[in-house]
Amino acid sequence: MSGLSLSRREALQQSLAAVLTAATSQGARGELRETPFFRSEVTSGKLSKIEDRVPEEPAVAELETLGTPGGELRILMGGPKDTRMMVVYGYARLVGFTPELEFAPDILKSIDIEENRVFILHLRKGHRWSDGKPFTSEDFRYWFEDVAQNTRLSPSGIPVTMLAQGEGPRFEVLDETTVRYSWTHPNPLFLPDLAGPSPLYIYRPSQYLKQFHQKYADKAALDALVKETNQRNWAALHNKFDTMYRNDNPDLPSLEPWILKTRPPADRFVFERNPYYYRIDKAGTQLPYIDRVIMSIADGKIIPAKTGAGESDLQARYLRFDNYTFLRASEQRNDFKVRLWRTGPGSQLALYPNLNVSDEIWRGLVRDVRFRRALSLAIDRHEINQVIFFGLAIEGQNTLLPQSPLYEPRYRSAWGRFDLPEANRLLDLVGLKRGGDGIRLLPDGRSAEIIVENSGESTEQSDVLELIRDSWRRIGIKLFAKPSQLTLFRRRVFSGETLMSIDKGVENGLATAVMSPWEFAPTSQQQLEWPKWGQYYETKGTAGEPPDLPSAIRLKELYEEWLAASSHEEHARIWHDMLRIWADEVFSIGTVAGVLQPIVVNAKLRNVPEQGIYNWDPGAYFGIYKPDGFWFDLSETPAKSASIDASPAAQR
Amino acid sequence: MLSYIVHRILIMIPTLLAISIVIFTIINLPPGDYFTTYIAELQSSGEAADLAKINFLKMQYGFDKPIWQQYLFWAGGLLHGDMGYSFAYNLPVNQVVGDRLLMTFIVSFTTILFTYIVAFPIGVYSATHQYSWSDHALTLLGFLGLATPSFLLALVLLYLANVYLGISIGGLMDPLYVNQPWSVAKALSVAAHLCIPVVVIGTAGTASMIRRLRANLLDELQKQYVVTARAKGLPPMKLLFKYPLRMALNPFISDIGSLLPHVISGAAIVSVVMSLPTTGPMLLEALRSQDMYLAGSFLMFMAFLTVIGVFISDLALAVLDPRIRLQAGRSQ
Repeated sequence: MSGLSLSRREALQQSLAAVLTAATSQGARGELRETPFFRSEVTSGKLSKIEDRVPEEPAVAELETLGTPGGELRILMGGPKDTRMMVVYGYARLVGFTPELEFAPDILKSIDIEENRVFILHLRKGHRWSDGKPFTSEDFRYWFEDVAQNTRLSPSGIPVTMLAQGEGPRFEVLDETTVRYSWTHPNPLFLPDLAGPSPLYIYRPSQYLKQFHQKYADKAALDALVKETNQRNWAALHNKFDTMYRNDNPDLPSLEPWILKTRPPADRFVFERNPYYYRIDKAGTQLPYIDRVIMSIADGKIIPAKTGAGESDLQARYLRFDNYTFLRASEQRNDFKVRLWRTGPGSQLALYPNLNVSDEIWRGLVRDVRFRRALSLAIDRHEINQVIFFGLAIEGQNTLLPQSPLYEPRYRSAWGRFDLPEANRLLDLVGLKRGGDGIRLLPDGRSAEIIVENSGESTEQSDVLELIRDSWRRIGIKLFAKPSQLTLFRRRVFSGETLMSIDKGVENGLATAVMSPWEFAPTSQQQLEWPKWGQYYETKGTAGEPPDLPSAIRLKELYEEWLAASSHEEHARIWHDMLRIWADEVFSIGTVAGVLQPIVVNAKLRNVPEQGIYNWDPGAYFGIYKPDGFWFDLSETPAKSASIDASPAAQR
Repeated sequence: MLSYIVHRILIMIPTLLAISIVIFTIINLPPGDYFTTYIAELQSSGEAADLAKINFLKMQYGFDKPIWQQYLFWAGGLLHGDMGYSFAYNLPVNQVVGDRLLMTFIVSFTTILFTYIVAFPIGVYSATHQYSWSDHALTLLGFLGLATPSFLLALVLLYLANVYLGISIGGLMDPLYVNQPWSVAKALSVAAHLCIPVVVIGTAGTASMIRRLRANLLDELQKQYVVTARAKGLPPMKLLFKYPLRMALNPFISDIGSLLPHVISGAAIVSVVMSLPTTGPMLLEALRSQDMYLAGSFLMFMAFLTVIGVFISDLALAVLDPRIRLQAGRSQ
């Protein structure tokens, strides 16, 4: 990965009013070419011509190679709920991240931003939903006025990311293709949330959904429908069909490249190309190139085997690094390629001392920064890397990755070396004396035995703990691993029963200054190092405990400053302040990061990057690489015809 | 006999009631509910859950009400044939289960058939040829079948079938036939995919059935009436099939009780390993994610089948074995 600089965005942000315009060329579209998939429907008059289906100002994709439309992409998923992954992979967002992690308008033609307070959204003229109905400002109004502010449909009100200092925006429709949201305070969470893999949808297919809305539908017909579908009231009915992210309603119009055609429940879902999709390539071919996506549902544990048997054309989900050798062995036989992409979490596994643990003696200890530093110094990260990850991972603390523009080597290396004498010295300073068996004793005479709990989901956790146990033994700390079950594990951490836990590190190791630093401050109960402080913030003080450690309070203040800040420099400064405190205080103890993710790609599939980042947010897995531009190159005759399945066209 | 039947049917009602209370209690015993599990699962994979929607669902389904009210609501629905709502699938339970039942029936019936066809001749043969080398060989084979962990056998066979026969891994048909209407090609694909699950699920059952049939038959063959019949000059085959074999069958008929629910639930572990579209993995997943109405209604359905199955096997035994029939009559 290179070129992750944000200089262009920084320059934009320096002026008070920034205008984000699509990086792709705009304006007059050239000659359009009809998609072969729709040719018969167009000639029979069932579908309008391509000129009437593509917006007047379509988005023109910058692609590595121009493709030919056609083919079927087979993917494997672990459960019927995974239909939502097509919304993640499709990644049609109002504003999205580019592979360089900059914001760029996507569905929007452009967006005007003033001080992160006022956002003017410009839609594309002639843009249509997948059912052919126009996509206009009415769809935004419908959501804001009739869904988000309807107490029956949204009992908890406007989504929190649309509240700046607790206040909602003022919403105005300027014309058919322009809407404005204005806040009195800056709202830096708005854009990142629009660009998220599970985005904030501030629009709805209003023409379709109005038939389920009390305000618009005929009462008798609506009551009959409620009864027929076995729902309790119209609100339940509306929410059942309004599943833009969940993506389980084949009737719901969509803007995504592929739309669901199979009605659940099913074990095989077919997604067909959206005839009204808004992106074209430079030759005037409407995207996506691939006609159909076939999603087969299989148990998550069998997916690596099925992938190895050549039953998927593009697979990463449910594959793990330890499947790599097996997949490579099947590469030749089934005509696919295995690529390795970096993953995004700040640490593959990190230890979280629970600063809210109920045991008072232990609580005093884990709140002592010297104790946390000593534990961190007594971990041999190089050994973990070599033994479990073939030396391919990045060693260090649980913080941002080198690809992030905010990265500084010292954040990752702070207290991250392997230094037993220093660790022992620190523990002596804390006042923990060694007992007869070499294990240190707590002030009340118990021996220092730390039970590290985990969710029991992967053997990797136990393996890493096994290695840490040996080195901690040498500083007089005894470690026990206790696998548990996910829900139970979290519950115990939240209630303070757990002294230490092991889990994934910070989710977003690729953060830029415009992304929220919430993971580095006590803001959520989900943070295993301080669940009660996080809960206190989340519930606005009705539950949990207020933070009482100066450094944690400082982090929370900095986070609030970040929320109120409106300039890029301020955001970056606050980020660095937070990262510095985070590194110095060792609130979580990182091991290794950037573990590689095997990506299986059909040998004929083009435009899938060789090197990439496989991450949820930012990234949306394949989303930022825009799978609508992937295509099957069938020009060369297949070298092997052993497997009929290998040629996607054979299935049609 | 009639009063016996009526009595047996009446006793089913309190049995089922008790079962339903136990099922509902156990499902609700683990901390949390479907939504907390769901949120935890999403967050562990880094996704954020739509809390607004979850609050909405919680209120809709009365998660804020006391547990006994939730039970009455569920049990009342069951009486009307309404099995509740599956949160994971966002569909009524009837619709979720419907599709999978047929596949489970197919797999289970084929397996039972396979078990009987293989086990009966072998069992009879090894009993009548006790301690011959062929008996030893078949016994060894039977023990191998009993001792092999079925999930391991499943994985090995899956791999071999894929590499050498080109059968797609897991599932009950080639992916391109899923959701398609039935056709000859689809039936053939199903038949090809059935082989492995049937062999894997059937192996353990076959082995244990051989052992039991052999032991039962040996007991009977020692008895005096066999010696007498043989002395009388009855043809050996007729003798075997008419008397000792019939006696040796009793335990199998009483097995029908447990067979019926087995046909519905399928072999859960093997189905999970082989990713079969049967009800076993669905039930496991429902229990894991605390999708309580799906799990509860399904377990209730199985309990119902067990009760019916035991009833049927009791009746069948009474019909087939005069001793049971007469004793039952005497005790009344």
